[in-house]
Amino acid sequence: MNSQLKHLITRMFVTILILIVLETLASSLFPMFGMIRYRVPFNVLIVLYITFKLRTPWIPVMVLTIQWIHSFYTVEGWEIGTIAGVFVAIVVSYVKDLMHFSSSAITIFLTQLFQCVWLAIVIGLLALKGAENFYLVDKFWRFIPESLIISLLSPFLFSILDKIWASNERGMLGDEG
Amino acid sequence: MEKNFDTESLLKLVQDSTQRLKVVLTVLVLGISFYHFAKRDFAYRETTFFDDFMIDSFGPVQRAFTDSQNWLSDIVNHYVANVNASKNNETLQKRIAKLESDLLSTSETTKENERLKELLKFGQNLKHQEVLAQIVAWDASSDFRVIRINKGAADGVKIQSAVVTSDGVVGYIYRLTDHFADVLTILDPNNRVDGLVARIRAHGIVEGYTDRLALMKYVTRTEPVILDDTILTSGLGNIYPKGLVIGNVAKIERQSYGITQHIEISPAVDFSRLEEVIVLVSSADDSKKLEWNALDAFDGSDN
Repeated sequence: MNSQLKHLITRMFVTILILIVLETLASSLFPMFGMIRYRVPFNVLIVLYITFKLRTPWIPVMVLTIQWIHSFYTVEGWEIGTIAGVFVAIVVSYVKDLMHFSSSAITIFLTQLFQCVWLAIVIGLLALKGAENFYLVDKFWRFIPESLIISLLSPFLFSILDKIWASNERGMLGDEG
Repeated sequence: MEKNFDTESLLKLVQDSTQRLKVVLTVLVLGISFYHFAKRDFAYRETTFFDDFMIDSFGPVQRAFTDSQNWLSDIVNHYVANVNASKNNETLQKRIAKLESDLLSTSETTKENERLKELLKFGQNLKHQEVLAQIVAWDASSDFRVIRINKGAADGVKIQSAVVTSDGVVGYIYRLTDHFADVLTILDPNNRVDGLVARIRAHGIVEGYTDRLALMKYVTRTEPVILDDTILTSGLGNIYPKGLVIGNVAKIERQSYGITQHIEISPAVDFSRLEEVIVLVSSADDSKKLEWNALDAFDGSDN
């Protein structure tokens, strides 16, 4: 258990470094080239990877850590993304055995599908908090291009993360889940 | 059968330490997240020592990206494309914008003098310290129209200070660290400014609508607002000084029923070309804080 945790922390550290580079690109470089309306939510992509590919009880803590790092780049905070991420992880845990990332097309499809689940949870929470309809509708329209970019990037980024996490199609960390 | 299955699952959960840990962590993380989500307030955000450290560490990297892009575009615009003319043009444009802003401010003062001759004590000429800042990044989430500037508490910036340009209002300081600050712009739906239609002095609340427009709410249907009317800050709310330009009326929808009208405002500031801003730090902030503390203390002792 201890050696497994040690591996997990080391790999998580490298994943966080990747997230920092991607968040910096999304927040400073892209807007400078006029990409003001849309952002690429790389944090969502990394959280989805963790929920899809890893089989460890520490997933909720890992989601929290990713969202916490994300909160230094946005005033969104870590809370809403953590709730959405953990709920997605719960849903994924029920269908994990049915999911196989055997081709890029399947990876893209599954990433898009679970981004829709993520959006539904976030919109539900914002509606509970009293967000106005126009804000939720605007969020939905922004979600379409942003989520498509994320889905298209997923095979490439997942292959990098697979190397970091020494993960294969069936998951990692001993499949003890 | 159903009952047996449930008992087996429960037994497995209790006996399997990994499953137990998974459930405990999930419940714990969800509990903490829901608690903080429910408590969240959008007036401003306090930072911890660790938040300060992290944002101050990431900020310079964001600034390096921004600076390198500015440096590249500077070379292309001023040296490759147009040797001197574009630079001169830019300086002159800035001067014109500043003079126009001054002119509007003067006419606003004249109007005020005419209406309130003996009540000029209003506002008491609050002095503001001006801090010039550069934009280093935008918010990483498209849900928020927030910009990060390269000045923080160490440069004298305070939380909830107004942020402006020579064109008009940008927003206010929402999150502050020692060397960087996040500005909640007027395009963000969480930012609400008490506004005033300059021509007819009608009040309303301006809040963010889209990435290019703001809404002016609660203006009664009978107010004769017309297209291109200038909207100014009213000075209420203790954040923005009175008379700053917010923008111009871009669209009006007035139904034959209802109490208010739908007014869309095009901000005076072009957010897509924003590079530098001025933070107006009010010297009254400290005394205001002391007053609030005194009131809080009074309430506490009363109970």
